[in-house]
Amino acid sequence: MAKVVKEDVVCPFCGTLCDDIKIIIEDNEIIEVDNACAIGTAKFYSSNVSEHRYTKPMIRNNGKLEEASWDEALNKAAELLANAKRPLSYGWSSTECDAQRKAVELIEICGGILDNTASVCHGPSILAIQDVGCPTSTLGEYKNRADLVLFWGSNPVHAHPRHMSRYSDFIRGYFRVDGRLDRTIIVVDPRNTHTAQIADMHIKINPGEDYELFNAIRAILRGAELDVKKVAGVPVKQIKELVEILKSCKFGVLFFGLGLTMTKGKHRNVDAGISLVRELNDHTKFNLTPMRGHYNVSGANIVFTWSTGYPYSIDFSKDYPRYNPGEFSAVDILKTNDFDVTLVIASDPASNFPKDAVINMLKKPLISIEPHKTPTSEMADIVLPPAIAGIECEGTAYRMDKIPLRLRKVKNAPEGCMADAEIVEKLIEKVKELKGE
Amino acid sequence: MKFFLTSGRTIDQGVALEGQKLGRENIKACAICEFDKDDFKKLDCMIGTPVKVTTKFGEVVVYSQITEQGPHPGLIFIPMGPWANAIIDPETYGTGMPSYKGTDAEVEVVKSGKILSALEIVKSYK
Repeated sequence: MAKVVKEDVVCPFCGTLCDDIKIIIEDNEIIEVDNACAIGTAKFYSSNVSEHRYTKPMIRNNGKLEEASWDEALNKAAELLANAKRPLSYGWSSTECDAQRKAVELIEICGGILDNTASVCHGPSILAIQDVGCPTSTLGEYKNRADLVLFWGSNPVHAHPRHMSRYSDFIRGYFRVDGRLDRTIIVVDPRNTHTAQIADMHIKINPGEDYELFNAIRAILRGAELDVKKVAGVPVKQIKELVEILKSCKFGVLFFGLGLTMTKGKHRNVDAGISLVRELNDHTKFNLTPMRGHYNVSGANIVFTWSTGYPYSIDFSKDYPRYNPGEFSAVDILKTNDFDVTLVIASDPASNFPKDAVINMLKKPLISIEPHKTPTSEMADIVLPPAIAGIECEGTAYRMDKIPLRLRKVKNAPEGCMADAEIVEKLIEKVKELKGE
Repeated sequence: MKFFLTSGRTIDQGVALEGQKLGRENIKACAICEFDKDDFKKLDCMIGTPVKVTTKFGEVVVYSQITEQGPHPGLIFIPMGPWANAIIDPETYGTGMPSYKGTDAEVEVVKSGKILSALEIVKSYK
């Protein structure tokens, strides 16, 4: 069969959503991926049928997962959801916006809890942004204008491998004609990360002391003299040097990662970071953008917000949406055992959640909408294998700077595998039928 | 020996999660503990020797490795995944976010420890 070349494909891996990927397909198999990073390339190749991929729905019988028909698997999943008092649905960030929109409808009908992966990612950033706002811009503006790039608790060489070459470091921009030579890169991290190794300055902070360092920088920026030699392990002399660099840039940007949200202080760290950026705008132009992980976790927050008013950790048990991270967030719901069925889509909480939460998740029925074999899907009672969004079906995804991009279909899904949105739509129809609505 | 444990993304871990979570690739990428070069000398073992990492939340056996992203004396790093999540602090302090980065840990060399696969770890919770 002839080779088919698809160009300008959007990569459905991380929040950078690189839109220049070239894919070569032969006989419905991806045989070459150009321009993508190692992870994006692996994601495209993973869509080829292999022993790692489900092509048929599975149902657990006598402790073993066995192939089943779509009708059988969908009916059983709908029964579990319709009969549940408090189903928990988690994931939704590695799929496209239409599936996310339907998720809200499904979980509202079930009176359940709807959470996306932001709750263990940039959820604390959202809490901080709700408190103090977010002076932000698009990646294109940063590429063209930023002469100072500050990565704090973020290691894009590993987590967003093409971010630096496309937007923040080596790329030439309209006002940054010499690319890397026109930018100063600073990394704040307890480890001398691969990103720090190619930066102009590495601030080696004590782990978990980001809040202290942000506030020391803010104090010095306001002209205060600190009566200590070091803050968070960083010499005050170096902090003063950093403040001068921050003040004197033409256009600065703070990209921050999970080094702020997963450490002690969590949303308070981000709050202090945003406050610093706000104050730097008294001296120059400064913005910030969280380095979002899953390719459409931004979309999940946006879709859930325009549908319910809230970005994640939403409870429908009272027939109207309520929002309370820490109570309705997936890890907390699992830890407190306040659920009776779990529906996981496009995520692997058995791998990614703390042990205590996983132990409770496995005690109760588990439905997994997932194309690949993962610890979660292999422990599930029902597996519904979808077409992979952005490879085998179209859809919309939001980049980390909240720019929507259209995902493309480059190959067909295994026979019978529907898009996530279609699977959720079928579950809605069946649950409504069972509930007599 | 006492250390401060942190976890996070690595590019190898990212590659392994795309369709290879049950495979050997995932173990090679994530069932590891990265040590600062000088700290590793004090462990007095060969690179790759299994180590047991214990926190007040659990214990896990992973392969030892010298970090490429050092120096970071006193700090150990386990890539995100079921191995790290077996021992991190699950407390969210009312935010929804567990404390994936920042737990006190104790490390001992276990020359014949078995490294469980991702699925074996999760199955042990059932």
